[in-house]
Amino acid sequence: MSNKHWSEVKESGSVTGMNIMLGIHRWLGDTGYNTILFFVSVYYWCRNPLARRASRQYQRRLTSAHPDVRLPALATLRHFMAFGIAMRDKVRALHGQIPLNDVQIVDHATLRDAITSGRGGLILVSHLGNHEICQALGTLRPDLKISVLMHTRHAQRFNTLLSRSSGPRPDIIEVSEIGPATAQRLGDRINEGGFVVIAADREPIGLTGRRRALEFMGHPACFPEGAFWLAALLRCPTWFLLCARERSGYKVHFEPLADAGTLKRHERNAWIDQGMQAYADRLEQFCCRYPLEWFNFYPFWAQRTPANEPDATSALQSAESTPPTTRHDP
Amino acid sequence: MSDTPLTPLEHELAELIINTLELEDVTSNDIDPDDPLFGEGLGLDSIDALELGLALQKHYGIKLDSDAEDNQTHFASLRHLAALVEARREK
Repeated sequence: MSNKHWSEVKESGSVTGMNIMLGIHRWLGDTGYNTILFFVSVYYWCRNPLARRASRQYQRRLTSAHPDVRLPALATLRHFMAFGIAMRDKVRALHGQIPLNDVQIVDHATLRDAITSGRGGLILVSHLGNHEICQALGTLRPDLKISVLMHTRHAQRFNTLLSRSSGPRPDIIEVSEIGPATAQRLGDRINEGGFVVIAADREPIGLTGRRRALEFMGHPACFPEGAFWLAALLRCPTWFLLCARERSGYKVHFEPLADAGTLKRHERNAWIDQGMQAYADRLEQFCCRYPLEWFNFYPFWAQRTPANEPDATSALQSAESTPPTTRHDP
Repeated sequence: MSDTPLTPLEHELAELIINTLELEDVTSNDIDPDDPLFGEGLGLDSIDALELGLALQKHYGIKLDSDAEDNQTHFASLRHLAALVEARREK
């Protein structure tokens, strides 16, 4: 077990684990859950040096790029605990147990305008914060047609979790990679004025091999291009969405990112560059605000770079290649 | 110049590919219907595949079912693509 990835270990028994967590929370409340979570976090903190080091590297890069960010004592352990709390809230959200009063949409006017424009778009999320809480957005704004693009393997686990849920079911589009059929399906949703949620900081779903190194906390890190190519081809707007925990409850940030509405073919590459960097910049700024809500517990800057990666030259090749790993997903 | 003449539908599809993907220095006569469209043949890539999928939907109302299957079979060559359009076109 010890040589396994931390999130992989967490993930292996996740459905049972999550139900146990939910049970503990139900019987013992916040205090009881947090007490048990503390010991569980200490255990994982000791047993998983890779995740611990990843957490430390992230925190060092964040604080050296932004000296004004203050981290609490025992910051990596607290980082692990924040993940445990996020897992609990993720399950609670899926079970419809997060009271709507606890979810505050900061940019409500932006969201309203995005919906009423009828243009739909791609909503780019990340593993900063807890975007599952945004399932609640559909309840808060019944006129918001929202689908979630999810890797098939995650979707299976997700569906098992949902099978016991009483909350509203999100519309999930299961894919193993972004190909022509997926592009068509997303195009249909967006043409109907709908929004499609895609995680754009990792590569569980992407165009195989397509990623760009972007400046992130002063160092280059690789981000997948897939979501931006889709927006460029579908000529739709992209939005940055983040849902993070604060003392008073959950805050939902919804901001415009890049709009491909009038994009010309020859401008695509530059547009993707700008859009991806804008995404990384927003992500970095929100890391300053919610430093412990960053749930990428792996060496984020050590991903394969375009330079050492063979280019995905053909859709045929990408269809034959192994599906991307799921191990980085909590 | 290819040895095998294109059928009218293959010719139409070749034009669609060239116009959609803005291929320079390629005419429909340069495309052999049995040559691979991706990789070695016409040299299209995974982004071109997405664009082609959207163009097929727009022009012919074709709905593709699964990404893996599409890439392996329907998009293999102009001839395969023509067979797909023949079988599944709705406009």
